[in-house]
Amino acid sequence: MSTPRRLAFAFAALLAAAALLLVPPPAARSQAPDVLLNVIAGGAKKLNLFMPDFTVTGAPDPAGLSRSLAEVTGNDLTFSTLFSVVGGQPPLPAGNPDAMQKTWTEAAAAGAHAALHVVVTPRPDRLEGEMRLYDLTSPQLRQIATKKFAVVPSEPRRLAHKIADEVVFQFTGELGDADTKIAFVALRGGAKEIYTMDYDGAAPVPLTANQSINLSPRWSPDARSLAFTSYMRGYPYLYRLFAFERRPVQLLAGFLGINSSPAWSPDGRQVALTLSKDGNPEIYVLTLASGAFRRLTTHPSIDTEPAWSPTGREIAFVSDRSGSAQIYVMDAEGANLRRLTQSGFNTQPRWSPKGDTIVFTSRQGTHDLWAVAPDGSALRRLTTGPGDNESAAWSPSGRHLAFQSNRLRGSKVFTMLADGSEQQPIANAPADSASPAWSPRLP
Amino acid sequence: MTQRRGTLHLLLPLLALMLLVTGCPKRPATTAASAPAPTASTIVPTAPVQPTPAAPSTSPSTSAPAPAPAPAAPATAAPATPPRPSEFAENANLRDVYFDFDKYDIRPDDAKTLDANAGWLKSNANNLVLIEGHCDERGTNEYNLALGERRAKATMNYLVSQGIQANRITIISYGKERPVCTEKNEACWQKNRRAHFLVKAR
Repeated sequence: MSTPRRLAFAFAALLAAAALLLVPPPAARSQAPDVLLNVIAGGAKKLNLFMPDFTVTGAPDPAGLSRSLAEVTGNDLTFSTLFSVVGGQPPLPAGNPDAMQKTWTEAAAAGAHAALHVVVTPRPDRLEGEMRLYDLTSPQLRQIATKKFAVVPSEPRRLAHKIADEVVFQFTGELGDADTKIAFVALRGGAKEIYTMDYDGAAPVPLTANQSINLSPRWSPDARSLAFTSYMRGYPYLYRLFAFERRPVQLLAGFLGINSSPAWSPDGRQVALTLSKDGNPEIYVLTLASGAFRRLTTHPSIDTEPAWSPTGREIAFVSDRSGSAQIYVMDAEGANLRRLTQSGFNTQPRWSPKGDTIVFTSRQGTHDLWAVAPDGSALRRLTTGPGDNESAAWSPSGRHLAFQSNRLRGSKVFTMLADGSEQQPIANAPADSASPAWSPRLP
Repeated sequence: MTQRRGTLHLLLPLLALMLLVTGCPKRPATTAASAPAPTASTIVPTAPVQPTPAAPSTSPSTSAPAPAPAPAAPATAAPATPPRPSEFAENANLRDVYFDFDKYDIRPDDAKTLDANAGWLKSNANNLVLIEGHCDERGTNEYNLALGERRAKATMNYLVSQGIQANRITIISYGKERPVCTEKNEACWQKNRRAHFLVKAR
């Protein structure tokens, strides 16, 4: 049996046991007031993960990586909502199995189900980290997974994110969403510029600084570039920028009229977009290698906001051909059109990574996010105010959504689980930020 | 991969249990009913405006040459690259027209305004005109970009119907991005749902 499968069984057993026995959260040690990094209400439904600060070997730790990286990983695991993380304890001494055994035994007695030990080794050219995961419900407290990572020294947070994603993988069979970025549009004076930040709001950096209007950032499937609409040359043209390389911005579409609403095909070879060059906003597909544009819609009304299905076989879009904006689905050749929403005013379709859900924005006075299956069934509401909640973006795993909300003062980027629960602002995200675009997992 | 999938199947019921389903009030009705299908794809060979792919003002790029995927540009009757919007100037003789919520048809009162604008343009034939289409803050950025385009286009079409040469007119949509009024009420929104005129001597 594979390790993830074994762990899944263990996880299931733990959850059942937790539900029956109401396992209390691990007790805090009196000498460590910040010992409980996070204990979630209802923690009995989560896996209690014990996680001391990281062990830094080979050198003193002037940057405080032991604590800071453990906090990043702990926050990532808490964000996943799968774990109740108990951290903030001093790091285990390196190469001391007896000390580890003693610590694990105490943690298990206090209710921890699993333990994470991370050893960080700074090298001149890279930062290495090795994670080891232990099953504290097994009599031998056995090690159930180990994996090594390396990142460039300038990006230590990515090491913490990668470890968190691996822990999620070990328990769910699918990587977490921590080693990702969120791009967004920020109001800067009279301009709108595109920024990117870590998914948790850390390290925001501008990607444009042209003092014009920049809109609709969309990550390419390889997470290296973004397509976006910009007025940097006066008119709304479609461009592509490279987020992590010193490469010039590329013009993707510069026709008369609007060049907007980019949507990458899942294979990254095509970009669906809206052009009005032939008289009114219609949906086209640009093949990047050839530069050829293929028109998909032919209707005198507005057709815009294409969104590919993850298979690349279908495209959802917005049209007002019925008299109000509604969501439609057509195949990637423009045929087999079907209408998905019937009433109200519905825009911004976003197809889930697993293909089973389309989230969209519905206006009923204010804007809120809804979800529907691609066959029109299973309609459900995800947000219920306050304020406007719109512009959803799926995380790579499909477990989370980012969106913009003005429920607090000004517009801000929020996240929630795909069912609409756990709505929260990204704590460190800049003010006046909107239109989030969640990157695929970083290369 | 099969390992991952198997694990996921095991966990899905558990995860489902963990996720609390939220309430579901007012719902827009959906069906899978079919709507009129568009005709199949057509390749449209209109010449794109092709600014050079240099990036003068966008960080963090350098100016090293890079091959933009330049579409082939067969010659057509499409107008040449229009002047930049910044080359156009305000002109008090040309008055804004306004639109109903979510609409882009010209209202009767505004037709009179456009008649007057057309008259000025006829007697000032050396002027090019830029028509800006704008929206109020309600609605999403991308949709309003399309809506503003339709408003500018409807305004242009009206002026053309009144005898103004189409090649004197350039349109641009700003969607909801350039409001003249930022309060959250209908009086303010109405001011923003507009077509605005700028001129430039030929």
